[in-house]
Amino acid sequence: MTSPLENLETQLETFIENVRQIKIIVTDFQGQGQNVFNQKIQTIVTGLQEIDRLKSQVQDVHVPLEVFDYIDDGRNPQLYTKDCMEKALSRNEAVRGKIDAYRRFRAQLLVELTNVFPAEMAKYRAIRGDERPIS
Amino acid sequence: RGYSSAISKKSKLILYNSTVIRIVGSSVIGGSFWGGINQADFPVVDSTGTLKATISLGKNPSIVTAGPFYLVKERPTDTELTGATNLMAHYGLEHSYNKSSGKRVRDTLSSFLPLLPGYIDSPGHMDGSSLRLVIDKPPVGGKELLPLNSLQMTGFRLHSGPLPEQLRSMYLSPQKKKHKKHKHKHKAGDTPSHQESSAAELAAAAEKKHKKQKRHDDDKERKKRKKEKKKKKQKHSPEHPSSAGGSSQILNPSLGLMKTILE
Repeated sequence: MTSPLENLETQLETFIENVRQIKIIVTDFQGQGQNVFNQKIQTIVTGLQEIDRLKSQVQDVHVPLEVFDYIDDGRNPQLYTKDCMEKALSRNEAVRGKIDAYRRFRAQLLVELTNVFPAEMAKYRAIRGDERPIS
Repeated sequence: RGYSSAISKKSKLILYNSTVIRIVGSSVIGGSFWGGINQADFPVVDSTGTLKATISLGKNPSIVTAGPFYLVKERPTDTELTGATNLMAHYGLEHSYNKSSGKRVRDTLSSFLPLLPGYIDSPGHMDGSSLRLVIDKPPVGGKELLPLNSLQMTGFRLHSGPLPEQLRSMYLSPQKKKHKKHKHKHKAGDTPSHQESSAAELAAAAEKKHKKQKRHDDDKERKKRKKEKKKKKQKHSPEHPSSAGGSSQILNPSLGLMKTILE
């Protein structure tokens, strides 16, 4: 059983093919082609009706607007997916680096504060119930 | 910094920058203040000299123990998922990422949609076919799609014969936007909204073709003239077959001239 997206894709391709055939007929039109041409026009209308009917099946499909920018520039939309994943990965690594930096800073700060204010830091650790090691 | 300390047995007040905030705690030694902490448990040794206290005043002044440290807040609860975890692994996307990064993805739209006819790699804003335009200016919809009746179909009766050149070239090459306007005879079925843009494109295509044709004609003429000149030169040269009666043909008249001089 084909998915709704595949159905829609097939229908769109059929529609585009139909339009292409009309273009060929019109480019060098002959009198006897009028009936075929009329038939093709009616097929366009039924194609549009079919596409309109299929839209309800893909209501839950959400497309990010940035993909449209890729398509408008004539670029492959799969590049958007690739760029998204790479961006997510690099952001993840950047945040991990920040968290690590803050952790090391906290450890270092506790060490230095303990050296300078031993009593206060003892109280602080007692209040915090800090079980984590300083370094 | 300007703070004053008042030492009394039971309650102590420290003003920081002459602002009274809140009263806390029991005893002060040397400007430092510990609220809510038993002195016997913790030796009160002031090593900072700048610890602040808080005072709450009003109808019912109350002593609020805020702890020994200024601005100490509750620690936020540790969450399982932070930026420090590998989110790709967490959401099970590693395989998808490896697959997508390993696969070589071509840059053009036509590589994604190979079955679509025509030239689709051109930017959409050039021929008014961008998706962004559909979002910003959505087309009129919501009307029922009905098949055309026979009366409406009469509007699609076409004349026999090929399309004019300017209309034909619309489908062959990518269009560049130009600002010339030109009147054209349109076939029935063209919508008025497309006429202006298509007219500009037709004019551009027509001019391009005209220029090409002109260039081609000019080239032809130039070649003709060159040939005639050559023939004339060859006629007058002594090595010409008609004058010398020889069978060999001298292709380069200047060479022929040199030969005669040397002889």
